[in-house]
Amino acid sequence: MSDQTLPGSPVTVGGYLARVPGVAFILLAMVVAFQIGNPRFLSITNLSNVGLQASLLLMLALPMTLVILTSGLDLSVGALIGLAAVIIATLLVAGWSIFSALAAAVALGLVVGLLNGFMISYLALPAFVVTLGTMGLCEGLALALTNGEPIGGFTPALEAFYRAAVFGIPVPVLVAAAFYGLLYLVLYRTRFGIYIFAVGGNKDAVHLAGIRANLVHMAVYVVCSVSVALSAVLLLGRTNSAHPTVAVGMEFEAIAAVVLGGTSFEKGQGWLFGTVLGVLAITVLRNGLNVLSVEPSLQVVCVGVLLIAALLIDRNRKRPVARITE
Amino acid sequence: MKPKERSQCGSVDEASSFASVTNSDAGGAPLLRLANIRKSFPGVHALRNASLDIHAGEVHVILGQNGAGKSSLIKVLCGAYIADGGDIEFGGKKVSVRGPADASALGVAVIFQEFSLAPYLDIAQNIFLGREQGFMRLGLVDKAAMRRAARDILRQLGLDYDPATFAADLGVAQQQMVEIAKALSQNARILVMDEPTAAISEREADRLFEVIERLKRQGVAIVYISHRMKEVQALGDRITVMRDGAVVDSFQRGQVSAEEMVRAMIGRSLDSLSRREPRPAGAVVLAARHLRTAKLADISLEVRAGEVVGLAGLVGSGRTEVVRAIFGADPLTAGDLEFDGAPLAARPDRSARKGMALLPEDRKREGLALPLAVRDNATAASMWRLFRRGWFSPATAERVCADLIGRLKVATPGSAQLVRHLSGGNQQKIVLGKWLAAGSRLFMLDEPTRGVDVAAKAEIYRLIDELVRDGAAVLMISSELPELLHLCDRAYVMRDYRIVGHLDRDNLSERAILDLAVHHV
Repeated sequence: MSDQTLPGSPVTVGGYLARVPGVAFILLAMVVAFQIGNPRFLSITNLSNVGLQASLLLMLALPMTLVILTSGLDLSVGALIGLAAVIIATLLVAGWSIFSALAAAVALGLVVGLLNGFMISYLALPAFVVTLGTMGLCEGLALALTNGEPIGGFTPALEAFYRAAVFGIPVPVLVAAAFYGLLYLVLYRTRFGIYIFAVGGNKDAVHLAGIRANLVHMAVYVVCSVSVALSAVLLLGRTNSAHPTVAVGMEFEAIAAVVLGGTSFEKGQGWLFGTVLGVLAITVLRNGLNVLSVEPSLQVVCVGVLLIAALLIDRNRKRPVARITE
Repeated sequence: MKPKERSQCGSVDEASSFASVTNSDAGGAPLLRLANIRKSFPGVHALRNASLDIHAGEVHVILGQNGAGKSSLIKVLCGAYIADGGDIEFGGKKVSVRGPADASALGVAVIFQEFSLAPYLDIAQNIFLGREQGFMRLGLVDKAAMRRAARDILRQLGLDYDPATFAADLGVAQQQMVEIAKALSQNARILVMDEPTAAISEREADRLFEVIERLKRQGVAIVYISHRMKEVQALGDRITVMRDGAVVDSFQRGQVSAEEMVRAMIGRSLDSLSRREPRPAGAVVLAARHLRTAKLADISLEVRAGEVVGLAGLVGSGRTEVVRAIFGADPLTAGDLEFDGAPLAARPDRSARKGMALLPEDRKREGLALPLAVRDNATAASMWRLFRRGWFSPATAERVCADLIGRLKVATPGSAQLVRHLSGGNQQKIVLGKWLAAGSRLFMLDEPTRGVDVAAKAEIYRLIDELVRDGAAVLMISSELPELLHLCDRAYVMRDYRIVGHLDRDNLSERAILDLAVHHV
């Protein structure tokens, strides 16, 4: 026994650093750089601003992590949150209560999630194409429902909710933090969570272990769509109107954040907290560029560069493994 | 073959204590008995008359050549195949095994060569995958309890792994151990291992043998498949030799020598196919010197014009890797190649242009584009010849294809027929034809007759004869020894990714090949 390298041998400091995804270093470097460039960067006001901006992206990127862990992808989240916002706003304007409108959003999320999940899991269709389809579906529906015009004039309660703060912490940040806690428990402390990693790693093995692998696989898309549809509340609070295409393209940032955080499209490899780091990196980058008055279109370019840079850093920094070789 | 289905039985308490079958006297009644099992598929008798007694606390080795029926027997045992005839008895009572769940319930678990672990679950989660209900607390999985239970099971195997380690961070041998732990946590009483030492080092194998000894003492029955004589003799309490789908002999430990076992594996002389006349060999076409790749160690060989050279060895001995390395499909880490007397840097495009042909083992995946037409496939390796003044010439392609169809007697309604609609034999002719069209002079054939019927086989033999008569050189891999003896002028024999011997025409025999190919003491 003693002549073998044991798995799980103590991790050295260097070994531990090697496990930190490249995005953590980039994030740190950006914070330092932006602070030097503009001393107000680390002010309470700006930090609370960063938190507000990050919270909505987190609501999309966190469930996206679950989807990507199953070796999947959900391109429909940006269009879906837009459609959900339109539906909630329309119903509120029509006199529905907030809770009935939210129930309608949940129903929408269920339908889209079941549609995505069923086709990807049971029919084994490629996630890219299926969710590209539902993305078009949601975007088209949102445009048709609004004739392309923003909907406003609904209850100011949503904006008040978005602007509120508890002990100085913005409510959306608390919502995102609570959502993170919930998904953390689900992913790491429930059977469903264990099966998500297993489905991504070896779906056949999950099936042969007597688990309904297809059901687990489908449920991941349902969780994603429902939580995204509910997050429309934050979007409405932020813009105080429902614009049908305001969130189109958010799927790009959500997926980028997950990948930045070190979650892989293969083998069920990844971690939830990495996504938080990824979201923060993207948000800090955008915020810092805003403070430096960089044009929005150039900001998108920078996010792309950030994504590629992080991938390059991590390319040759696979998690250390204690493989036994001859 | 997929891992067998695992049932959801087995609570934690059971899981942490092995099924203790105390009655492990070798002479007693067998735990499980397979009697006169028959299984056939259209055209093939996979199992003719196979019987096997499995005793608790014993290692029962099954020995046999490729295609002797070992895998089929195991598939019947674990419920992946349903036998056409014969009986299965468990503890003296007749039972019916109609599927993987039945076999699981009897305590049969199989460790296949391909593992079923999820890479980014930890060891504990993998061991108890699908059986987490024993570890639930307040609706959440109690990780600590699961890891403790996993640690207990690993300890009983004498292993000190940290159960929190990801499967992805384990080596092959360690993954195998986790698979064994997983099987035992499900109260496996009969553990089947399919060539467990094929992919692990010698030191790791010793570790495995220690674990097997432990399992024996705990009353677990082990069914162990291996080609390696050394292991067979060291481990086997009982050794059963299979040949042509039937059990031909069964020995107790120490009753037989390696010599006798090899003889039993070969059995009757299979030289029903005639040997060919000696052929005059021409100039050296291919010379490989000290080739190394990630897997191969020091491969040197020569093939001359006008001869068929065999590359013999058991499945997994590295034969395919050799032809892939020569063709340039896998990168060389060391060594030189000479083709027609000139140095060659192995790279598939150059190899093909210079006149090398590779008929891959997996015809449908690597040899053909199944959804495309006969014409497209037949001209795939000689595209560069089909351009006139820079433009693709359909007429030339059509002519080249028609020539090939005639010459190879391909049974197809026309050049536009999709290749996936052709029979295996005709598909193989297209693969050969695509290289003929390219003007290849060295043909490397990897199992050229696998999955083709007898008539097509004869046709392919005839084509190989024609090739060498026209001065081509052939390097051929086959797992069917009679076929190698029939076609080859001489042969190299491989074992463990090395060439372990060369047999010239006078020394080439089934016996000589097997002697070199299997592991002796």
